Amino acid sequence: MDGEIHLEELCKKFDDFVAVDGIDLYMPPGEFFTLLGPSGCGKTTTLRMVAGFERPTSGRILLDGSDVARVPPHQRNVNTVFQSYALFPHLDVAKNVAFGLKYHKLSKDERAKRVGEALELVDMTEFARRKADQLSGGQQQRVALARALVLRPRVLLLDEPLGALDAQLRKNLQVELKALQAELGITFVFVTHDQAEALTMSDRIAVMNGGRVEQAASPKAIYEEPDTVFVADFLGVSNLLGAKAMGPDGGACAVQVGDRTLRAQQGATEARGEVKVMIRPERIVVEPHANEGEQRMPGMVERSVYLGGAYEVHIRVLGGELLKAMVPNDGGAFATALEPGAAVSLHLPSDALRVLIQTEPEEPDEDAVSMAAAEAAQPPR
Amino acid sequence: MSVLRNPWGKPRFLAVMTGGYIIWSVLPVLIAIGFAFNDGRSRTTWQGFSTRWFTGETGSVLHDPALRDALGHTLLLAVICVAVATPLGVALALGLQRWRGRGSGTVNGLMLLPLVTPEIVMGVALLLLFLQVFGGIGLGTDAQAIGQITFTLSYVVVIVRGRLVSIGPEFEEAAADLGAPRRDQFFRVLLPLLAPAIVASAAVAFATSIDDFVVTQYLSSDASTTTVSMLLYSSARGAPTPALNAIATVNLMITLLTLAFAYLVYRRFAGRDEATAVATLEV
Amino acid sequence: MSGSRWTWRLVALPGVAWLSVFFLVAFYTVLAVAFGNQDTLSQPVPHWNPLDWNVGYVSEMLDNFWHGGPFWTVSLRTIQFVALAVLLSLLIGYPVAYFTAMHAGRWKGAILLALILPLWINYLMRMLAWINLLAPDGVGSDVLHSVGIEDLFLSIGLLDEPGGWLNGQPVTVILALLYGYIPFFILPLFVAIDRIDRRQIDAARDLGASPASAFFRVTLPLSWAGILAGAVLIALPMFGDYYTADLVSASTQTNMIGNQIDEFMRQGSEKVTGAALTLLLSTFLLALMFYYLRTTRRAGTAAEV
Repeated sequence: MDGEIHLEELCKKFDDFVAVDGIDLYMPPGEFFTLLGPSGCGKTTTLRMVAGFERPTSGRILLDGSDVARVPPHQRNVNTVFQSYALFPHLDVAKNVAFGLKYHKLSKDERAKRVGEALELVDMTEFARRKADQLSGGQQQRVALARALVLRPRVLLLDEPLGALDAQLRKNLQVELKALQAELGITFVFVTHDQAEALTMSDRIAVMNGGRVEQAASPKAIYEEPDTVFVADFLGVSNLLGAKAMGPDGGACAVQVGDRTLRAQQGATEARGEVKVMIRPERIVVEPHANEGEQRMPGMVERSVYLGGAYEVHIRVLGGELLKAMVPNDGGAFATALEPGAAVSLHLPSDALRVLIQTEPEEPDEDAVSMAAAEAAQPPR
Repeated sequence: MSVLRNPWGKPRFLAVMTGGYIIWSVLPVLIAIGFAFNDGRSRTTWQGFSTRWFTGETGSVLHDPALRDALGHTLLLAVICVAVATPLGVALALGLQRWRGRGSGTVNGLMLLPLVTPEIVMGVALLLLFLQVFGGIGLGTDAQAIGQITFTLSYVVVIVRGRLVSIGPEFEEAAADLGAPRRDQFFRVLLPLLAPAIVASAAVAFATSIDDFVVTQYLSSDASTTTVSMLLYSSARGAPTPALNAIATVNLMITLLTLAFAYLVYRRFAGRDEATAVATLEV
Repeated sequence: MSGSRWTWRLVALPGVAWLSVFFLVAFYTVLAVAFGNQDTLSQPVPHWNPLDWNVGYVSEMLDNFWHGGPFWTVSLRTIQFVALAVLLSLLIGYPVAYFTAMHAGRWKGAILLALILPLWINYLMRMLAWINLLAPDGVGSDVLHSVGIEDLFLSIGLLDEPGGWLNGQPVTVILALLYGYIPFFILPLFVAIDRIDRRQIDAARDLGASPASAFFRVTLPLSWAGILAGAVLIALPMFGDYYTADLVSASTQTNMIGNQIDEFMRQGSEKVTGAALTLLLSTFLLALMFYYLRTTRRAGTAAEV
């Protein structure tokens, strides 16, 4: 099938700075694939290597099975929508779209027909004679799309193409882009730092951090089953509790949080030692103080933020950690009574608790070093 | 100061001062232009309007051989200067912008030096160069042109490089992405985008050459290599006629028209990059 | 596009070669002549090999400076003229640049154009204009006489005789330098003041600074780099100026270093002495430039030419 990309141990160094640190990724044909991460995580560099603007320091880029890592950009059958669109200001819209067709052996009629179709596809036919700088941001974005798609690439690369647009337009274009991709069936590789954008549009997301891929999976899996603390923290709101894993306990993991022992069914349930336990705010059930028992921790409300459909309640639990919980605004008296100082009980269902092994930080900070030293000083168990 | 007492009111004192400064800086020149149209021989007493010092039968810019030749020589030098300094400067700007790594910093410094070297130092250096090293070229038109090219080159580089920086690498990448080989990336994309800056830099080179004095004077040989600036210098304190004002006026008009043309071209083709256009005029 | 390593060097090569020959070699020729000798017709005999350099002419000149000879007098005068002209440029130029940047409103573009215009009027034509005005029967002389400035200048000894503005008066040379170079001072200053974020001044006011103290504690320090850039930008060419003094004074009593060099190089035939003086002037100016670059770099502001 067409438009399949394999990245194998791909590396890019700029002088001393490692931008992309040996990543392996599979981008299936015909999918909407998103590279997501904070700025400086290497996502744009990865995209630029696929496009051909940067030459990898090492590693392979397999486009439908053949390595294109050393092929110059103008000989690759992939096209790019640039962050600032890079429409040629000295050409009008139609000539911008026709620019790349010069390098395809086409008759004049065929060329005109293709330009017409491409403009129609993005609904820009009436603007064909406008100069690029006479268009709004959204219109420029459509022309940039048409200019790339007219060449019928096997893969379309999009470098934060919605970044420069205002929020409402962004939302509309997200839907349109996704629909366009589904209609054309070609592989889209989309770079963004906006997690909401990534979640709504993608078939598959690769979360990048520090030049590495933290996790590559479907949006649902990324959100609900994050592999790493970074992924859990980067997407949505997470409560991450420091905990000590005591080992498997019948399909779950017994974790000690403060003076309580909880059972966590998700994630690295085989783990032992220092771990993080993660739970999403919407999975925490806030109950009256009187409720005691399994999977429950007492706490005190510090703040309650009114969000319309729900309250985001900040609760300090016994161990000293602050948890955020979503309490639906269902009109009941309970939710409104959650004022600062109120004592509550938190129910943390075991199927919503996820054990994450803390990955080694890039540079060990002082705390980590002294902790490691303290651990080493302890007698073996 | 009353200005500072009320920050929301119009600072009248400063406004008056600015107005006064502008009048002071421009009015004398306007008066000098006015006397170019004097009907008499005086440059200080008004005797009625006439264009005799521009086109009259005797002693006018058009018919006095000394004046006419000076204007002609000035324009000749300007044309040579533009013809050589522009391509040389554009190439140097491109090379410097793209050539990263060893040596580029040094060359950049070398390129900027002529901009801060007092003209008399360059004049002396080039004079000695043509006397001691390039005796074959000697003083005269060739030496004058070479001298002017040497420092206008830097103006061209600064202007073209500024535009290169604001264009950025993205358009060429887009062209490559769309299948254009390197040759086309340059000729179909970069060069058209660069064209307004090239025109502007050529205009600045032209105007700079026309108004140059020191280097041109140091490298001149005989009367046939006299330019308008040199004529102004040598005759200002003598007992000349308003024809001197007339030739200065013609000179000024050529300069201003050239720059106005460049400014309009830049605004028309470089889009909203007006700040750069103004900056170009300030170089 | 990165391109091959050598392509872009090749593109830059002609320009680099040009500058190397007509700037670097030319300047080396000054060295070779200044550290050379002269023949019986007092024509220079350059010494190209640094090992053969003859320091006689340069050290003779340094001696002259050291013992307060004529070169010392001329240099001192040059420094005085330049310093006064720069100071006057600051006093007149700062308010103008400040007003244009901060308060000109919708007139900003027009005023800016008027500030740029003199840069493109031939320097010699601008001097010619003043020569016409200050001639004994000129309009300017009449005006200065009728408003009493002439009497004032006569009484404090800045002017020797009525109507004698162009007869070797230092004050005329200084004012002519001021008139000639101030546009080059105002523009970088305008750019520096224009770039100041207004909110910082508002913040100073908000924090309790009076308008005057906001100006002296915020605006002025923030425009310091512009003042320095403008001052250096006009001081460098002024130090090499000979035509201004020639035109508005035409007297050896107002000779500047530039006039001295010009007399040696172009008019007379003491080219070796002229080259030595040029060398010393260049060294002084280079030191000035480096000092300027160091202070601006330390201040963390990029030097813009």
